[in-house]
Amino acid sequence: MTRIELENLEEVGRKHREKLARYEGLLLVCTGTGCVSAGAFSIRDELRALLERHKLQKKWLVVPTGCNGFCAMGPILVVQPAGIFYQKLGPKDLARIVEEHLLGGKPVRSLLHKDAASGEVVPRMADIPFFAKQQLIALRNKGLVDPESIASAISFGTYGALRKALQGMKPAEVLAEVKRSGIRGRGGAGFPTGLKWESCVEAVARTGKPPVVVCNADEGDPGAFMDRSIIETDPHAVLEGMCLGAYAVGAREGFVYIRKEYPLALERLEKAMAEARKHGLLGERILGTHFSFDIRIHRGAGAFVCGESTALMASMEGRVGEPRAKYVHNVESGYQGRPTVLNNVETWANIPVIVGKGGAAFAAIGSGDVSQSPWNGSSGTKVFSLVGNIRNTGLVEVPMGIRLREIIFDIGGGIHGGRKFKAVQTGGPSGGCIPAELLDLEVDFDNLTKAGSMMGSGGMIVMDDRTCMVDVAKYFVDFLKDESCGKCTPCREGLIGVSEMLGRITRGEGTPELLDELERTCRVMASASLCQLGATAPNPVLSTLRYFRDEYLAHIEKRKCPAGVCKELIRYQITKACTGCGVCARQCPQKCITGEKKKLHVIDRKNCIRCGICRDVCKFDAVRVS
Amino acid sequence: MSGTTTSPDKVPAVEVEIDGHKVEVPEGTTLLAAARKAGVRIPTLCSHPAVEPYGACRVCITEIEVRGRKRLVTACNYPVREPLKAFTESDETRQQRRGVLSLMLARWPNVPAVRVLAEKHGAKPPAYRHPLRNEATDACILCGLCVRACSEMAWEDIIAFAGRGAGRRVMMPFGEPSERCTGCGTCAYICPTGAIKVHDEQNRPVDPARIRKYGFRLTQEMTLLDDQQCQMRRVGTAHLVEIMDAYDLLPTHNYKFGKHPDTPKIASHVWKTFVRQNVPDGCWAGCQMSCAKAVEDFVPRTGPYQGQKVLVDGPEYETVAGCGSNIGVFDPHDILEINFYCDTYGIDTISFGTATAFAMECFEAGILDTEKTGGLELRFGNGTAALELLHQMSRGEGFGVIVGQGVAEMKRIFAEKFGGDPAFLRDIGMEVKGLEYSEYVSKESLAQQGGYAMALKGPQHDEAWLIFMDMVNKQLPTFEKKAEALHYFPMWRTWFGLMGLCKLPWNDVEPEDNAKYPEPNKVPGHVEGYINFWAGMTGQEVTIDDIIRMSERVYNFQRVFNLRMGKGTREWDRGPYRAMGPVTVEEYESRAERYDKQLRELVGYDPAGKSTPEKLAALRKYREEQYEGLLDAVYKRRGWTRNGIPTIETLRNLGIDYPWVVEVVRPWLEKEGAA
Repeated sequence: MTRIELENLEEVGRKHREKLARYEGLLLVCTGTGCVSAGAFSIRDELRALLERHKLQKKWLVVPTGCNGFCAMGPILVVQPAGIFYQKLGPKDLARIVEEHLLGGKPVRSLLHKDAASGEVVPRMADIPFFAKQQLIALRNKGLVDPESIASAISFGTYGALRKALQGMKPAEVLAEVKRSGIRGRGGAGFPTGLKWESCVEAVARTGKPPVVVCNADEGDPGAFMDRSIIETDPHAVLEGMCLGAYAVGAREGFVYIRKEYPLALERLEKAMAEARKHGLLGERILGTHFSFDIRIHRGAGAFVCGESTALMASMEGRVGEPRAKYVHNVESGYQGRPTVLNNVETWANIPVIVGKGGAAFAAIGSGDVSQSPWNGSSGTKVFSLVGNIRNTGLVEVPMGIRLREIIFDIGGGIHGGRKFKAVQTGGPSGGCIPAELLDLEVDFDNLTKAGSMMGSGGMIVMDDRTCMVDVAKYFVDFLKDESCGKCTPCREGLIGVSEMLGRITRGEGTPELLDELERTCRVMASASLCQLGATAPNPVLSTLRYFRDEYLAHIEKRKCPAGVCKELIRYQITKACTGCGVCARQCPQKCITGEKKKLHVIDRKNCIRCGICRDVCKFDAVRVS
Repeated sequence: MSGTTTSPDKVPAVEVEIDGHKVEVPEGTTLLAAARKAGVRIPTLCSHPAVEPYGACRVCITEIEVRGRKRLVTACNYPVREPLKAFTESDETRQQRRGVLSLMLARWPNVPAVRVLAEKHGAKPPAYRHPLRNEATDACILCGLCVRACSEMAWEDIIAFAGRGAGRRVMMPFGEPSERCTGCGTCAYICPTGAIKVHDEQNRPVDPARIRKYGFRLTQEMTLLDDQQCQMRRVGTAHLVEIMDAYDLLPTHNYKFGKHPDTPKIASHVWKTFVRQNVPDGCWAGCQMSCAKAVEDFVPRTGPYQGQKVLVDGPEYETVAGCGSNIGVFDPHDILEINFYCDTYGIDTISFGTATAFAMECFEAGILDTEKTGGLELRFGNGTAALELLHQMSRGEGFGVIVGQGVAEMKRIFAEKFGGDPAFLRDIGMEVKGLEYSEYVSKESLAQQGGYAMALKGPQHDEAWLIFMDMVNKQLPTFEKKAEALHYFPMWRTWFGLMGLCKLPWNDVEPEDNAKYPEPNKVPGHVEGYINFWAGMTGQEVTIDDIIRMSERVYNFQRVFNLRMGKGTREWDRGPYRAMGPVTVEEYESRAERYDKQLRELVGYDPAGKSTPEKLAALRKYREEQYEGLLDAVYKRRGWTRNGIPTIETLRNLGIDYPWVVEVVRPWLEKEGAA
């Protein structure tokens, strides 16, 4: 296989499928970053060694895939064609799988997934509730495609939409499909992608400057890994999306701005680009047509603010990564003063499906009716990274408009250890916390904003009743305080001030006046900041004040932390439920718990540092906070 | 160069209403500038007209209404692109502004720039103690003016913001003193709090603040106006090439003509492509005109550096004209190569150009031939021959030995050895007092003819450059006016020499409002700066008359010195006729309409039916008489005799009537019966 042209693209995919069909089955090993850190590479290698030992290498093929999505269960192996789902594997488990399942024909029951609610074993991946409610567009090939093989990507239809466009669509027609889809940018602000591209085309016509397309892969929110996973899983989908965007706006040059902290994504992206270039899917005369386009990678050094579009472009230009005013938009004057289309990874990954299947099909999914205006709803699906005190940590893709409850309880499996759900924080550090009352909220761009949070790039941090909302607000504010570029006064000084005020409240030094000052400062930050980082930075405070004001007042008026988190305001106490097992005394770093065996233990409050380890380790819930 | 301001492209106007005041501004104007035009002041901290808006302090936050929708913007960087209303004192504006100022006050409670604004706009310190509270009155408030000044005004990037958020601070790379920093002080001048300080241990000026104030004004003009007025920073003095051509002043073929169809090949846009050093290259630390330019990686095609990469320091306007158009060479590579070898051999490019032009004209006139030149085809445009001549000069070989002695010696040699007509050689040999002419055609400006020929060091343009004033703007209609200019400007420029200052920042880039002053040619705004510079440096208050007098003493002393060296009398103040008018039929006929008109209107001579030699003679007679009249007027103004000798009284008035000075002039005065 050398250069791929319009005519032989299908054939390349068919040949790859035929090659795979010669095997009895495929062993899909998840090699997303989560599973890799849990040992997925040794699973892959051990599995290959075992196949060789059993002379099965002609019958079974090990395919390392990108992120499967069910990160809580990694390392993961899916045996195709039946779709048997093995979880939490160690290298030692593999011999049984090979012997009992591959040779013996019987799946290894003890390694299969068990449903937390019913306790029943669910052998097939498709039957697991975590997967059942998802609808995949951006992650359409997750867990199936080999991210390091262009042939594998093509066999799943990747570059088919590009072929369709180059064969029979004018750039304006590609743009029209994207507009018809109503897709709004998945990077955070939810600006309609079609309108953005259209403005770029207009700016090019007006200025005559060559446009640029950029992929924002500078995902920096704590707990978010959607974009990283998409690149690790299906890099060619992103490249194809960028090619389509470039074709639509007339760009010859593209960039991916990706943070250096994503080594695996970077490696797979570079490999994908090299392969695409080798086969004529990037570079001069793509697919043998007159369309030429190439992409370069810019590595970010990991400043959160560089995810902001103007800071990102400053960084790309080699300047200090700080935002500028956006009174003149990037589509008019962005990178090097050229009209620039910037979309994030997930948006780009959606484009091939939109162009391939038509914008109307995409628009039919999701909330609202976007046929008149993209602002009337949120079409398509959204990828969320589900983390925090939730059972099924992982990456999920759901249709817009799905209820929060469905994501958290049906897909996410609810809260760990049977505790109570308290809030979910969406939209990254500058998103907001949504309380239990709003669990029936239909998740889309506008509803989240109305609820005082935002879509952001799709992080979802679930919190249980042991979470102090003032402490949470302080955590996010402190993150933003460190990540603010410091250019403008409201963001820089406001975050320092807000952090200081929250600190005083969590230490029990708050006053009603301070609360007023806090709200006032937040309002100035929201209205007067230079960029959206500063303008949204008060969201964690404002949303927790909106839904959990009582908790603030408890800290201020009663000098109490209801969730038992804020150290200055709590005391640990061992209740009569204590069985005298002694675990807490052994684990206490201060060695300040004493008591005889099988008798009530006591905490020496003078030396207690309120670290909470005793409470965490107690199996009898005998350690209480007051 | 006054009068060369390029007009910006017409941009559509937009009507804006600021606090009820309607005003029209060009599209793209910032809201801040529009407000200023409407007479409304919006408070700012991080904004300065000399640098790009930054939008960091947010003090200029203003509520606007566009198409019925209200929003908050920062006035300093919001470009007005459609009709809008702005409300600089609405509740929303005031509340946000107060909020921002209150945040600043929390951290920097004692910085006057912050305090004054906070008090004025009713901002109070917040209810918490800022963890980084800084009580200093000269604390850095992170406005970033210094960073932008270093980058945009000084064309350096020596200081920048380091760190993020609370850790943000201004520093040099790695927090160490940078070797690149010349201590130009621009960052300190622009700093609104005094956080950056200048320590001048060397000069110990009496009043540094006074010098700084005017120095910064000059620096700002350079940043804001040079691109429109001169492009000194981008092209250097070579930006003058096309301007001189447009006014028929670019010397071509040994000053025969003032323009050439090939000039675009050596015009500023060409030099822009050669000059690749996008770094400031000034003569001394802190000069932001930075007109010095260099061409990197130039590969000469001849001479000892043939085929090697070299650095060419230049080209200046005088080099382009002298070693280009004046010798008929319009190949930028050849000009750069001559530039490079002149520098390498220690030869002045003006003298080389003018001397070579003279030799070339003699060659084309038949006075020289290849036998006499040792094979050199010294025709106009032959860059290869010019380069070979230059190499010969350096080696002391061949015909180069003769040309290398200069125009004055060549005139003698060509007449004595090669049978050249001495009168013709005198007319076209462009030198006075033994020095070759600089590169402007002075034919149509009587004042400039004097400016060149009367210059004490020889015909160099740095004593007086009066062509535009005289020829273009017609500001010197009488002998008296011309004489006054030939008194004031040489004295003024002599003062630069005395101070060790450069002339270019005085009148190349001029204040924006220069034209509104009664004598814009003197650039009064800058003269004021120099007076303050003197006073700030020495502590001595002076007037412009004092400054002129300082120079006059030196200038007269130099004249006496000339006299002692045998070149200080009237006969030495006359230039060759080529500097005053057309010498040849070819020259006359190339601009016959102009000369015929002058004969008719100024000389009262009817050119109709006259042959060109007849007309040439009539014009020459008139122009030479005019020149003599000019000499009389200037000498009178300077307090010299008709022979150009400073009188005893003049020397006495200036306080330089030392016996050994008087001793030099007395015999000459006695000869004139003036002692």
